Amino acid sequence: MKVEPILYGDRKVYTVAAFNHGVASWITRLPSLWIEGEVTEFRRQDGWQSVFFTLKDPEDGACLPVSMPRGRFDGLRLDLVDGMTVHVFGRPELYEARGVFQLRALSIEPLGLGAILAGLERLKRKLAAEGLFAPQRKRPLPLLPQRIGLLTGNEAAAKRDFITAVQARFPAANVVVAQTYVQGPQAAAAIAAALAALAQEAGVEVIVLSRGGGSFEDLLPFSDERVVRAVATCPVPVVSAVGHEQDTPLCDHAADVRASTPTAAARLVVPDERELRDRLDNARAALARGTGATVERARRLLAADHERLARAPALLVERKRAALEALSGRLVALSPKATLARGYAIVRTDNGIARSAAGLAQGDRVDVELAEGGFGARIEETRP
Amino acid sequence: MSEALSFEEARRELEQIVAKLEGGQAGLEDAVALWERGEELYRYCVGKLDVAEGKIEELGKLVEEARP
Repeated sequence: MKVEPILYGDRKVYTVAAFNHGVASWITRLPSLWIEGEVTEFRRQDGWQSVFFTLKDPEDGACLPVSMPRGRFDGLRLDLVDGMTVHVFGRPELYEARGVFQLRALSIEPLGLGAILAGLERLKRKLAAEGLFAPQRKRPLPLLPQRIGLLTGNEAAAKRDFITAVQARFPAANVVVAQTYVQGPQAAAAIAAALAALAQEAGVEVIVLSRGGGSFEDLLPFSDERVVRAVATCPVPVVSAVGHEQDTPLCDHAADVRASTPTAAARLVVPDERELRDRLDNARAALARGTGATVERARRLLAADHERLARAPALLVERKRAALEALSGRLVALSPKATLARGYAIVRTDNGIARSAAGLAQGDRVDVELAEGGFGARIEETRP
Repeated sequence: MSEALSFEEARRELEQIVAKLEGGQAGLEDAVALWERGEELYRYCVGKLDVAEGKIEELGKLVEEARP
């Protein structure tokens, strides 16, 4: 069919069929290539020419319709189900009758182990770069949670181990159990949804993500980006107890604490009641001791003050006496007696102490005072 | 205890009070007030432990939702 416009004066107008055909033939020039995505809305019926599904980008939900001739699809012997991550080799095309852009699949491969590992490593690096695994994001677990959320599969063992261990340590613990798919293509979305729902439960202050051991593929949902993000953004702390000791699904890195087993997780989320009571009793005893010591110290200080108070008057007199004695010592030093003791003498006339020969005359009577005693005398001669 | 204190908060406060009393940082009147507060916190914490028994609940709704 040729793509030719109808002319309305200067305006070139195309029919829908012509337009679709033109675009479709242009698109065929695009190369065939590999595309990775998650299978959703997979549809296959025996009467149909083709099978259909939508490839979804797990990151932002972008969608691409895919079709594949049924015979070719059946020849691949794929057990394709929704949620599977696959590589599709195909060429882009426009389904002309409906004007729908789609990928015509030539081959479909489920992700092999190598590709899965490489994808995990990429995801790990990306999430680490976003800071989702940063140590400073880790929150401390509550000491005594009102309610504990347990997210688990339908395996009895992990759930039983956890609940038994919780009740042995702290019989009054409240546990809310959410069972969900933990394996298979729907698991990741189910786990992320269940985690969010558990966190919304009133009083749930910590959530334990528990799953028994399994194969590498079995544990893959716990490395799914949706689950890892749900763990990282969970409003309450999350303990990851997934698989065995040697397994480290990515959710372990995003969780606030990692536990090797459900029993170990129980030890992390509830305290040992007896130990806790002992510690409380010790604190109480210390409280009484501390108060007693404070009272005792106050009493001692008071007694010391009282004693000082009692001694104060005597001390005051003593201090005054000492001051007085010091004063008298200074007085003695100043008295003429000390001067006399060094061999000086005081000569007195009727006019008082003689300080000068002027005014004295031969034959005058004077009185001489010495350190020890004195005598009366008459002046023999005077000198100027 | 009027305020809605969590167990941890109560225990942390109790331990701070003990440390303060043991360190001899409190005056006599403070010490008595602290002791009363400490006793109150102790009773509160023990009360939290004395809850009759725990419950195990199933969040049934989720299981239904998770099974398409």
